Amino acid sequence: MEVPIKIKNHRWKQDVTGWLIMLPALILFAFFIWEPLFESVRLSLFAAKGYHTTDFVGLDNYIGLFANPDFAIAWKNTSLYVLCSLVIGFVVPIFMAAIITESPFLRGITRVSVYMPNILPGLAVVLIWKFLFNAGDTGVLNILLKPLGELVAKISGQVYKPFNWLTAPGWAIPLIIVMLTWKAAGSTALIYMAGISGINPDIIEAATIDGAKPLRRFFSITLPNLGSLISTMFILQIISVFQILYEPMMIGGVHNNQVSVMMLVYEYAFDKQNYPKAAAMSVLICIALLFLTLIYFTVNKLVNRDDSKGRTKA
Amino acid sequence: MMKKLLSILLVVALAIGMLSACATNTSSSTDVAAPAETSAASTSTTAAPEEKVVLKLGIYPADTDEAAIEAMEGVITRFNETHPNVEVERAYYKYATDNIAPMAEAGTLPTIFESWFTEPQKLIRAGYVRDITDLLEARGWLDLITPAIRSLLSDADGKVYGIPRDAYALGLMCNVELFEEAGLTNPDGTIQYPKTWEELAQTGKKIKDATGSSGFVLLAGEDLGADGWHFSNIAWAYGAKLVTDNGDGTYTPNLNSKEVVDAMEMVKSLKWTYDILTPDPFSEGWATGFTQIGTGAAAMYIGANDAVEQPTANNGLPVDKLSLVPIPAGPGGQYSLSGGTPYMFAANATDAEVNAALDFLVAFGKAPVVDESTVESLRAQAATKLERGVPNIQRFPCWTSPEIQAAEDAVLAEYTNVNANLYADYFAAVSTAGNLHTEEPGDTQAMYKELGKVIQAVLLDENSDVQALLDTAQANYIAILQEEGILGK
Repeated sequence: MEVPIKIKNHRWKQDVTGWLIMLPALILFAFFIWEPLFESVRLSLFAAKGYHTTDFVGLDNYIGLFANPDFAIAWKNTSLYVLCSLVIGFVVPIFMAAIITESPFLRGITRVSVYMPNILPGLAVVLIWKFLFNAGDTGVLNILLKPLGELVAKISGQVYKPFNWLTAPGWAIPLIIVMLTWKAAGSTALIYMAGISGINPDIIEAATIDGAKPLRRFFSITLPNLGSLISTMFILQIISVFQILYEPMMIGGVHNNQVSVMMLVYEYAFDKQNYPKAAAMSVLICIALLFLTLIYFTVNKLVNRDDSKGRTKA
Repeated sequence: MMKKLLSILLVVALAIGMLSACATNTSSSTDVAAPAETSAASTSTTAAPEEKVVLKLGIYPADTDEAAIEAMEGVITRFNETHPNVEVERAYYKYATDNIAPMAEAGTLPTIFESWFTEPQKLIRAGYVRDITDLLEARGWLDLITPAIRSLLSDADGKVYGIPRDAYALGLMCNVELFEEAGLTNPDGTIQYPKTWEELAQTGKKIKDATGSSGFVLLAGEDLGADGWHFSNIAWAYGAKLVTDNGDGTYTPNLNSKEVVDAMEMVKSLKWTYDILTPDPFSEGWATGFTQIGTGAAAMYIGANDAVEQPTANNGLPVDKLSLVPIPAGPGGQYSLSGGTPYMFAANATDAEVNAALDFLVAFGKAPVVDESTVESLRAQAATKLERGVPNIQRFPCWTSPEIQAAEDAVLAEYTNVNANLYADYFAAVSTAGNLHTEEPGDTQAMYKELGKVIQAVLLDENSDVQALLDTAQANYIAILQEEGILGK
């Protein structure tokens, strides 16, 4: 009877140290993450003068958001950003990581160079790509592609005209995502590389001896072993791209084609100084992300359950 | 045992690390206070019976602007000779919409700071600036503020919250070199500038054909505010009345009238009929427009008298190659949008502090009265402009005070560096009765944004339906006003 109590006591002692070590972090976390989070929910339910809340207005701020002519467009565009980033940007880092780990040459320098764009300041990246995408004869891409464009124009019997990259209908969002991928893929690839290096080399060796070519090894060994990592990166990417803000804001182009939900938050907070509406918009974004995450986890659970069933049968 | 000791050490280290941030703060704040006290002691011995006042000077120039700092230090020295009890704290502050609220809430706004013409109403509503009506009244300055500008700086009850630094009226800035190349000059050195928007299109075409440079910079950038701001001049010229002020705090927009459609069709023709715009209007914003005319990439751009340093000193156009002419007219007349750059005062500033700031403005030459130091300041500012290659032109009157006007004119005559004829027509036009038009009331920025979207759409698509686009803009703007509770019945 006494023995378990003793163990419990001992555990508790162990725990105290743990909690004490965590305490500073917990306080900071509560102060800088949870408190602002609850505060913005509270703010979104009040009218305010500057930052000072005045009257409780219930859901008025939320209802008011719908009157914004950009509201629906922003949600549509944001979904497009996410969709595009999954189509264009999601597989790039996986292949990058696989190729770099498979390649026997210059591994170090390649690893550094794919990571390079990530250490550049975000705004600088936007400005660089802005030069690339510039419309008219002065855009870098247009300068590079001019000979090709003239050739095509000659063959098809049309007059050559420089392409307006960002303002051409339907091009803005994919181009911004290409830019985003260029910047962020390197750091994601690094995470995948770490994942790949965690795969038991014996399996790869065995497969190689059995005559599996790199492509086969990738699809049959690397990819399945990265499964959980890939699914984590999937939801992280959705969350981060959903909050796209300064890239579309700074690159120029047509407002309606690229306005995002976070840009509306920025506009409410800093152009109109309407902090309650900015808070309401943030809460909506938060709810949307929670909802997406929930769907993701449910689907993930279902898939995994089926997966494990399949395995036990086999 | 060792483990226990280690973990205790770790906890202590973390706690100290966390608390150290607060500790540094307190110690540094006493560091700052210390020299202030010593200087207080030294000034009080110089025989100022008055209370010591700290003036946090938010209009102090940025670190990089050495010429302006030198001029400002001169002003401060002269000011302190007559006001030994005022300690001037050099608190450079650049107004921005994302720093004003935190600073105001924390009570760290400078006593006096500059803002933009669009901001006073927002700042007044948020309670970030203080009412200075009584202080102005006591000085007799209140009725010297040009009425149109005074209304920009007042709340609904007529209380005044700021004073104007400068006023501006939009005109048409022209790159004289390009006009010369295209042979569009007069014998007296002035240029054959367009008098109407139709003429602007033709002049632009001539210049483009002769020089290869673009004729006109139209703003259609992502910052839709400036796009609509410029466009409202064009709309007025075509006879449009964009918004009706119902006088009861509500507004009725009229963004889709025939006049607005005509104005927008004209904008559309600049791209699709005349093709005189810069290669990518969608990347043009307020600042890039000046770069375009400053570097000779474009010939004409809508700009105001308070921005003449932009194409010249900042973008390399020789000081005598800029001409500012009246904004083109249309079938509905000729209107220049006018506004001002205000000085505002922190909500927590005391009467003594605000008075010190107002006295400082007298010494700085930005007030409606003149004392010995005013002329010296005006001279120093004019000399700086000469040195930097900024056209030294007359200020746009923001005070109805003959005294300061005379002092300014005298200094201007001494320090002239441009052919006054290149600006004469502009100043004649903006002093014509009925020419000036303040910004439309209501949620102006939201209206600009809606108009900006239409400008983007007509430049994107040659076959765009202007009427339909403006109908959408009207519907959107009505929805915005309705939600804000300021839509007229």
